[in-house]
Amino acid sequence: MTILSILEWIESTDLSTAIREGALPYPILGGFHLLGIALFGGMVLVTDLRLLGWAMQRRPVSDIVQQLRPWKWVGFAMVVASGLLLAWAEPQKLYRSPSFWIKMALLLLVGAHALVFRAGVYRNVAKLDEAVTVQAKLAAALSLFLWAGLIVSGRLIAYDS
Amino acid sequence: MNGPEWAFPVVQSIHFIGFALSIGTIAIVDLRLLGMGMRRQTAAQLAADLTPWTYSGLAIMLITGPLLFSADAVVYHYNASFQFKMVCLTLALLFHFTLHRRAIRPEGSPVIARLAGGLSLLLWTAVVAGGRMIAFV
Repeated sequence: MTILSILEWIESTDLSTAIREGALPYPILGGFHLLGIALFGGMVLVTDLRLLGWAMQRRPVSDIVQQLRPWKWVGFAMVVASGLLLAWAEPQKLYRSPSFWIKMALLLLVGAHALVFRAGVYRNVAKLDEAVTVQAKLAAALSLFLWAGLIVSGRLIAYDS
Repeated sequence: MNGPEWAFPVVQSIHFIGFALSIGTIAIVDLRLLGMGMRRQTAAQLAADLTPWTYSGLAIMLITGPLLFSADAVVYHYNASFQFKMVCLTLALLFHFTLHRRAIRPEGSPVIARLAGGLSLLLWTAVVAGGRMIAFV
């Protein structure tokens, strides 16, 4: 079984055909993906800007990070769920798209970022209320770059053909 | 905008970053108005803190949007989704700077606050959804 035969099988499923060929599912999923980007991105941006000391400086870091976290996960779930369905619709096109692979590599880096900084930054934000560590600021700056990279590479997928 | 191939998608990406910043920060205040998040701060406190970032996002959005429009102005002008988006955007902006702003005040009624938060989220959702549909009609 080759990768291409798996991709062909995916495209032959009813779900894939329905999303790809129906008039409504694709734009609706695309709209949902964008709304997820606004929600997830908004929460990530504000969290990062607070850690960097550029936004909401009057509020404790832990207030911002902890209170935004549930909505960040809601946004992330929206982006991932709609993204998987969009990918299911045209896996062969994505397989050939360099931008798609850049986006996947960036997603891996997002995972690595979460693992690397979890212990030192995100699991124990209360200790950042006294002073934001250099490590936390580095985490925030990297997070901003990764997020922007996901947006740009994701948008470019539509232009690889 | 009709120059190099990468110009349009790059400006679009900046447009996305702008609306994530503006709508994301507006959503934080709206979720607070609805009582669904950020309850350690009041809506007025959140709005005061986030307004510069909301405005930055709006500025990015309102600069990149017309740039994208200029790439194919006539086509967009007649596009039903584009027209829908512009109506929703006008309503969302008018609402944001009038009734929404008043609903955030600490002395306001909680029912009005919830209505304002819900309507604001709905209007901005319609703007984003209308924008996505432009490419499909």
